Amino acid sequence: MNRATVAILAVAAAMALLPLLGLPAFYDALLYLMLHWIVLATSWNILSGTTGYFSFGHGAFFGAGLYTTSTLLARFEWPFLWTLPVAAGVAALLGTALGAVVFRVRSVRGELFALLTLAITFVVGTIVGNTPIDGGNGVSLTSVPVPHLGPTQSSTFYLLALAAATLTLVVARAIFFSRFGAGLLAIHDDEDAAEVMGVPTYRYKLVALAISCALAGVAGGIHALFLSYVTVGEVFTITVPLTVVLMSVLGGTRHWAGPAVGAVAITGLLYSFTAADHAVAGKAAIGAILIAAILFMPDGILPRVQRAWRGVAHRGVKKTASVAPAVAAPAPPSSTVPAAGDVVLRVSGLHKRFKGVRALAGVAVDVRRGEILGLLGPNGSGKSTFINVVSGHYAASAGEIVFEGRGLVGTPAHRIAAGGIARTYQIPRPFAHMTVLDNVALAAMFGGGIATPRVARTAAQEWLDFTGLAAKADALPDELNLHQRKFLELARALASRPRLVLLDEVLCGLTPSEIDSAVALIRRIRDQGATIVFVEHVMRAVMALTDRVVVFHHGELLAEGRAADVMQRPEVMTAYLGRAHA
Amino acid sequence: MLDVQGLEVWYGAAPALRGVSLTLRAGELLAVVGPNGAGKTTLINALCGIERARAGRIVVDGVDVTRLPSHRFCAAGIAIVPEGRRLFIAMTVRENLELGSHLPRARPERAASLAAALELFPALGEKLASPAGELSGGQQQMVAIARALMARPQLLLLDEPSLGLSPLIVADMFDAVRRINAQGVSVLLVEQNVEVALSLSDRAYVLEEGRIVAEGEPDELLARPEIQRAYLGV
Amino acid sequence: MPGFTLPSATLLAQSVLSGIFVGALYGLMGLGLSLSWGLLRIINLAHFAFAFLAAYVCYQLATQGVDPLLTLLGIVPAFFVLGVLLQWLMARFRMTTFNSLLLTFGLMGIVEAIIQTIWTADFRKLESAYANQKFKLGALFVPVPELITLVLAVSLALSIWAVLRYTDLGRALRAAAEDSAVAAAFGVDQRRNGLLLAGTCAALVSIAGVCIALTATLAPSQMYAWIGVVFAAVMLGGLGSAIGPLVAGLLIGVSEAVTMAVTAPSWAPIVSFTLLIVVLILRPGKAA
Repeated sequence: MNRATVAILAVAAAMALLPLLGLPAFYDALLYLMLHWIVLATSWNILSGTTGYFSFGHGAFFGAGLYTTSTLLARFEWPFLWTLPVAAGVAALLGTALGAVVFRVRSVRGELFALLTLAITFVVGTIVGNTPIDGGNGVSLTSVPVPHLGPTQSSTFYLLALAAATLTLVVARAIFFSRFGAGLLAIHDDEDAAEVMGVPTYRYKLVALAISCALAGVAGGIHALFLSYVTVGEVFTITVPLTVVLMSVLGGTRHWAGPAVGAVAITGLLYSFTAADHAVAGKAAIGAILIAAILFMPDGILPRVQRAWRGVAHRGVKKTASVAPAVAAPAPPSSTVPAAGDVVLRVSGLHKRFKGVRALAGVAVDVRRGEILGLLGPNGSGKSTFINVVSGHYAASAGEIVFEGRGLVGTPAHRIAAGGIARTYQIPRPFAHMTVLDNVALAAMFGGGIATPRVARTAAQEWLDFTGLAAKADALPDELNLHQRKFLELARALASRPRLVLLDEVLCGLTPSEIDSAVALIRRIRDQGATIVFVEHVMRAVMALTDRVVVFHHGELLAEGRAADVMQRPEVMTAYLGRAHA
Repeated sequence: MLDVQGLEVWYGAAPALRGVSLTLRAGELLAVVGPNGAGKTTLINALCGIERARAGRIVVDGVDVTRLPSHRFCAAGIAIVPEGRRLFIAMTVRENLELGSHLPRARPERAASLAAALELFPALGEKLASPAGELSGGQQQMVAIARALMARPQLLLLDEPSLGLSPLIVADMFDAVRRINAQGVSVLLVEQNVEVALSLSDRAYVLEEGRIVAEGEPDELLARPEIQRAYLGV
Repeated sequence: MPGFTLPSATLLAQSVLSGIFVGALYGLMGLGLSLSWGLLRIINLAHFAFAFLAAYVCYQLATQGVDPLLTLLGIVPAFFVLGVLLQWLMARFRMTTFNSLLLTFGLMGIVEAIIQTIWTADFRKLESAYANQKFKLGALFVPVPELITLVLAVSLALSIWAVLRYTDLGRALRAAAEDSAVAAAFGVDQRRNGLLLAGTCAALVSIAGVCIALTATLAPSQMYAWIGVVFAAVMLGGLGSAIGPLVAGLLIGVSEAVTMAVTAPSWAPIVSFTLLIVVLILRPGKAA
């Protein structure tokens, strides 16, 4: 077990002894509230802070747990503690049912997801309020016996909340440092790229939502008895989700403990205002704090503090110019016929249509093991579309793609990535909030099948060495120049241990010497046993690297063969330069 | 009428244009050719204010426009036909054209400009009420050019107008461009299709990897090894 | 389950009428929200707080003997300025759509606190010359304040629609919302237009606030009750539309009223929210 989890448990154990001090009930209540909000905010963050799917529906799940407990207590006279797991289960079920539908709809992200989850809150609230669950009059639990966990009744709730908070924090920490958590954070930065790199986005979002709801449900169950009289109006409102959002944003959504920090701060602040009889001013203060946080500290308190602690000097300030290792000039192209390796990728009759535009119109090509195949052609001829379809980013309209004997058409992108094919993007799409090392580690975990982040980081370090980016391991992607970012794309592609690498204009925008080092790198990748297909316009590189090229034109293949031959052919020269040169 | 000196445009940490200088005389049809990724669109975007220059100067008719906010470039006499048309597809063709004459000095002449545009592209006449998104690629290109003309510009910037269009439509379109130039509008044409660009223009520049590598009359340029190497690698 | 009672024809018609009135107010409330979301990409929750602030100011002036409709002369310009200031702040900090949601929520809390400090949390009802006036239309009663609201809502929606459709400013706003870079290249000054639009939206919602003061009982916490139903109207009506929220609002208002007449008032919220959910899942592209 790691240090942080030990610390959490130790603190919790110490705090469990607090009731023995015999403090007035006021402190129990205050601490209860702080712990209660720690559970709500931290559980919310498990889905929303990590993936960026800001839910405004936490009130619905909290309320579901609350009313599950109240119903079981009032109607069926269950013992209190047994209602808690059921409350968790009901909340999780509600969340999973919601997520199963909503996460399938691609465009419901960001603010639309927030609104939809808010609407769910009111719908559930209305149903609860109009059916015998509540019936509009609230549910009274005053006659329900409170279990004797502590010396007083208020201390019992305090201890229950302590247990829930401890559980929540331990779970949150475990998630953030696991492979699952890395996948969630990747979804935040670029969900489509994450999917293409092997993260099973739909499943992960569902699981995160279920865990988040279950914990909120537990908090709800405990709170039901704490209140002893529950009404719909208190629970199914906009207040719970917005408070939770505020606490997490203030404390920092990208840190597992951020929401807890925010929860303690806000609860303490509100209490001090209420105690001084300025409850209304307290509300205004909260609003002002939220505004200030959005404007000046969008990352939250905790990351700020962390950065100050480590000192700015630590982070990639030394802007080293080029980081590629010294390499010899590109070797002369092989003059023999490409090695007759077996066919590793066979594409036949491939079509892709976008709303009436034919991007690919019946492309057929065989790629042999160990060869470097160049895809050429003028702008808009279909080369990038080809790569996008093979990697699963787009679905083919018609045709077949067979990789190592398995058909790829219809396979989700993340399975293709885990199945031995990797691709880079023409405009690099690194995960902006993760370090260079973590970017590569993610690929190693999801494409390359490594199970734990620690092992993945070690593997990632090797790939960074291979591509010459070792010095930048702790930097964020926006600190890299274009050349380094392209190499980061390469390192990510390689970390998934692909047998087929698809490169999309890797050399675009590089200086001649940077191109030379990139060419050498690509050759080393092939020497390690990968097959490479790449789209390129930089002719020097095409001549130096490729065994074969194919030329695209208006979505079809125009020519195929060795680069030097193909580029002299009249039809190819016409496609590029116009009739004058035929 | 256009004088660009030492223009530098950066995308994040990487330079897209490095010290580009060119001149365009009033009434000229100037072509800028180069392979993909050379920086042609960046150049056009810098000239109409969509991109900001990090260094260098852009002088239009004696007025230094480099530091102006993007919405002021149009008033200096520059209108753009963007790459990929970029029409306002939710609006009708007529509304697109009307937006073209948004400038205070172009507004009073809106009716006249519209008539002139329809004379140039008669096929648009029956499409005025259609949403721009429903038109074919060639028709959209016509609307994009007409929209720019509605601003009554002295300089028309064309960014890869032939992209994605069939040769027949491309021929018609460039015919129109020739006629526009003949009416006195200076034209700066950026194209990947070297043959067409050079056949139209009075003079041309070759852009490669963010730098001007050649300049001259079309015939002499075609024969030069720079073009062959830039495009074909041989 | 609630009992279903089928009301008489007159009662039903009266319900539909009251649904129309309420729906018109939803539409008026949603007008500014829809414009700023669709054209400025800002989700302004403070909208609701502004409405109530305007309502309370109108109430205050009315208790001092000013005719409620006359208060508009002062309220509208004041809120226009408020809207401009808020937009200036958002533009200066380059606010993303989502952050604007959070920030305006904070603002809503502040305004609520101000309202509560000045006017306390007690319920307030505006007593005016119009309040109890109504006339008969056949068998139906038409209350004057509600009628005023309907007239204002429809005329404002139509006017804004006309501006968006037929004027240069309207075209510029729509073009900039679609492709801001190209719009700028044709001379559209988005900063200035944005301030103008934001001020107008705030002015519109202040008019809605005066209507609320005329027709409803005021309490600071009430502002939250409108959020869900107005968002439903905005999303159903389509972002950036002037007539859309009105039509959707009417639809929601009538559906709610009929639901209430047939079952029980407490079921009313389910109509708008379920509609919102369905729209979001089935046609999210329309709203985005």
